[in-house]
Amino acid sequence: MMALGAPLFPNELVEPILWHPVIFAYALVISGADLIILASLAYISRRMTKAIPLLLVLGVSFFSAALLGPLADLRQPSRAPLIFSLAHLVPTETHPGFSFIALYANLWLILIILSVIFLLFYQSYHLHLKSQAGGRLRILYRILSLGVGNEERYKKLKPFLTLLAAITIIPAVLWGIYPSVLVVFQTWLFLWRNWAILPLIFFADTFVASTAAAILVYYIIKLAHLDYDVLSPLLKVHSAGCVSVAGLLGVQLLLWNQWFDGSPLNTAFDVVVPIIYYVIALLLLSFILALASLKVTKLSVFVSIVALLGVILNKWNTLVNGQLISRTGLGVLSLELPPDWLLTTLSPIAAAIFIFIVLSSIFPLKVKEVG
Amino acid sequence: MRRRDLLKLGLSAVPILLLPTSHALTQPKRYAMMIDVTRCYGCMACVAACAAENNVPIGVFRTWVERHVRADGNIVFVPKQCNHCENPPCVKPCPTGATFKREDGLVLINDEICIGCGACIQACPYGARFVNPVKGVADKCTFCEHKLAKGLLPACVEACPTAARIFGDISDLDSEIKKLVESSNVQILKSWAHTDPEIYYKNLPKEADI
Repeated sequence: MMALGAPLFPNELVEPILWHPVIFAYALVISGADLIILASLAYISRRMTKAIPLLLVLGVSFFSAALLGPLADLRQPSRAPLIFSLAHLVPTETHPGFSFIALYANLWLILIILSVIFLLFYQSYHLHLKSQAGGRLRILYRILSLGVGNEERYKKLKPFLTLLAAITIIPAVLWGIYPSVLVVFQTWLFLWRNWAILPLIFFADTFVASTAAAILVYYIIKLAHLDYDVLSPLLKVHSAGCVSVAGLLGVQLLLWNQWFDGSPLNTAFDVVVPIIYYVIALLLLSFILALASLKVTKLSVFVSIVALLGVILNKWNTLVNGQLISRTGLGVLSLELPPDWLLTTLSPIAAAIFIFIVLSSIFPLKVKEVG
Repeated sequence: MRRRDLLKLGLSAVPILLLPTSHALTQPKRYAMMIDVTRCYGCMACVAACAAENNVPIGVFRTWVERHVRADGNIVFVPKQCNHCENPPCVKPCPTGATFKREDGLVLINDEICIGCGACIQACPYGARFVNPVKGVADKCTFCEHKLAKGLLPACVEACPTAARIFGDISDLDSEIKKLVESSNVQILKSWAHTDPEIYYKNLPKEADI
């Protein structure tokens, strides 16, 4: 193991990247929570309603795979259920404080239950219509329609669904800033401890990732028949996200410069700062492309690709490169990845895509508006 | 039971209640260590003794000795390990409560319920924790609690040829550690982290406070 610079703690040299790159894939899959937020907001405000089925199915698919990331990173994965059964949520004398990991694992369970109920009731009447149309899966559609067999009954669900959407937003927003709250508030790694606005960046960043994923999926599904009414609100949210993240990253660069200028600790930032400039450039390019796509919808695929590149680079830089800076702030470790890192990293994303394929074959992504 | 018997029993308890309570009965132990940096010459006997006593795998360390060069060019050796903090940042993020703080101040790990998430390792500002490559769980200094239970000293303290490490119950007013900590100008590591360590240093150079 080679270490660049010194001094370092000897235990840091054994495993410089304690949280493997799967943490970064996991941070991308979490964007499912933001898709659920967008779907809930759309339902409550009755705006961008055409996008709700896509946002909801994609959001549930991605979010349901969210815990696969940390599971892959556990050294004792068979003990993972202990996070629920022995959750450290209440401070005691022997166990002061509470664990963000335990809190968020339990919140995941709550959010997944709420969002699946929301999805099922939202799609109930549409599934009833699918069951009426016949086919091999008509019995499954009938079961999933939850007995909502006419428009009147479906309309009566509206207050319940509105309330459900409002409740769902709360855990989804909390998940939108995870794992940044964990790394900023419950770790002592040099970069993360000095990145106070990271939760804000993560919150905006997951909107960029989620809308980019939604735009890409929509583009692949529809190809030549892109609907401006679906695409336009996604592009607007995406543009706002891109500008916010780029701006917040710029603010953080200025803060670091002010805090550490002239200090020997300043050199530690050399690992992450150059990449932040690339991220800002990519996000601003995606913003410009998004504005252009409002006129030429075919360009939207480039909006998505450029943004995803920026998001991936940003997450890698924050979560993987961030761990390379020693706790001392005076040394940098060299990157050594486990041999199966790529497969492990891609598997939660692949699982999310697989779940989306299954769910999108059951739940329609384009529905007739009722009421 | 008759009323007279009850009264007798109550009266017999009065002298016990009036007895002066001894320190040992009322005050729980609070273990601490003081390290005099000027006495350490970097022989690594403590590191070897710790590894042997606790089966610490090769490449990871429950205690280590840092070599620092002072501004005046002199070399100092600074032993480091888990600080058994009064306000331990490693206990909070543990999702299952596997890491806990005992009444006697020891911060320990329950191997049986540690899931190996690494949260406690990332939370330690001192780099004192690591994943045990053999057991697959978090690991760190325990102050040799298995030896303390038998009334013995931690292996590193026993092994130090210059008595650079002083260990004891700091809640005991008559203990050597209590007297030394009170009479010396002691320092702690990373005081700005507000962890309140139970490892005190004497003559710690500022270069080593990292």
